[in-house]
Amino acid sequence: MELLKTVFDVFLQTYPGFLKATLITLQITAVALVLGTILGLIFALMKISRSKVLQTIANFYITIIRGTPLIVQIMFLYFGITALVVLSGFWAGAIALGIHNGAYIAEIFRGAIQGIDKGQREASSSLGMTRAQSMRRIIFPQALKRSIPPLGNQFIITLKDSSLVYIISVPELFAMANREAAQNWKSLETYLVVGAYYLVLVMIFTYLLKLYENKLNVDKS
Amino acid sequence: MLKGTNIHKSFGDLEVLKGIDLEVAPSEVVVLVGVSGSGKSTLLRCFNFLEYINEGTIEIDGHVVDPKKDKLSKIRAEVGMVFQHFNLFPHMTVLENVIEAPMIVKNMKKADAVALAEQLLEKVGLSDKANVYPSKLSGGQKQRVAIARSLAMEPKVLLFDEPTSALDPELVGEVLAVMQQLAQEGMTMVVVTHEMKFAKEVADRVIMLDEGVIIESADPVTFFENPSHDRTKQFIQLVD
Repeated sequence: MELLKTVFDVFLQTYPGFLKATLITLQITAVALVLGTILGLIFALMKISRSKVLQTIANFYITIIRGTPLIVQIMFLYFGITALVVLSGFWAGAIALGIHNGAYIAEIFRGAIQGIDKGQREASSSLGMTRAQSMRRIIFPQALKRSIPPLGNQFIITLKDSSLVYIISVPELFAMANREAAQNWKSLETYLVVGAYYLVLVMIFTYLLKLYENKLNVDKS
Repeated sequence: MLKGTNIHKSFGDLEVLKGIDLEVAPSEVVVLVGVSGSGKSTLLRCFNFLEYINEGTIEIDGHVVDPKKDKLSKIRAEVGMVFQHFNLFPHMTVLENVIEAPMIVKNMKKADAVALAEQLLEKVGLSDKANVYPSKLSGGQKQRVAIARSLAMEPKVLLFDEPTSALDPELVGEVLAVMQQLAQEGMTMVVVTHEMKFAKEVADRVIMLDEGVIIESADPVTFFENPSHDRTKQFIQLVD
């Protein structure tokens, strides 16, 4: 009971700063998701293309990104390439998260595209469609629908992974929690509160995703 | 209209077609029969360039197709194909399935494509299903939509790859009736099927494939009553 009260006190003390930080967390996540989806689509198409060169580039990207820790990628973009370009913490973090996500999303799209029955391509070919027309009009719309559950999962992972950019001092939610805990000496309560913020965000997102999936299903079958 | 000369096709070491010569005249209905593995479906798929032949030539409407130089999508647009498993586009309504290719491939205006589609859906008896998704249709209805979809490209030849094999027995008739009507209207058709009744009543010519070669090619009466080859006799007994 005592704990509950102190947790609530910490919540009341921190919410002005935490809500602002939540906004930054959401902004980083949004940029990362848009970038990740675009990269994911490009690399998925490269991976299933008939060009060996494009396939190799895509495989290289996916292998490197999936094979190294996200935190290393964040540090690399922020501190590692300063000779080339100096990025703000926000952009270094958001872009690192986007590139990181791109590799996973590429695999999601590739799996979904290759999972579409080959009869669909044959039917569209037999009607005179080119490969590109068939991909754009027939294969991809179906693959996208199948990608939504794993994409939603990936989006949730991204939201939580965005906490790692605290390491380059972006004032997002987790960085704020660290700062608070160091000042108020109430680590247990502070991390409980920040954990609850993430949990609520994920639950809202899961709910929205569910609504969207239901809408798709009602429409089409 | 459609002419294959010395067609050879192998999958790896397995030679499926061993020198097929087949010419289909305009408005002719040719039925291909044979046991499974005889190469009849492969032959059909070669005519539509879903498979590339290893040797020989394919001529469509007087034009010898060169898969390296010709745009195959253009060629395929002239040769329609109806599949065993329908392969309708599940994310589109019946109407959208039919208007898709004319609009995308032929750049037909939507209003014209819809008018054409409505006319074709009426022909196959599915006007009332235009705005339904394929998942709501029976197998027979799906196959009739697939036929309408192929017809919307106004192909010179229509190929049927076991169009009724995936259907419940009571639904076979409605699909065959549509095909029979097409035949009467003068559509050039090559049909792979196990429906011998259809072969007897609708075909102008029945062709028996066995191990990648044509062993019998005759009008249906001769084919069924007086076949020349022992394998054909066995086959006819088997399916009767």
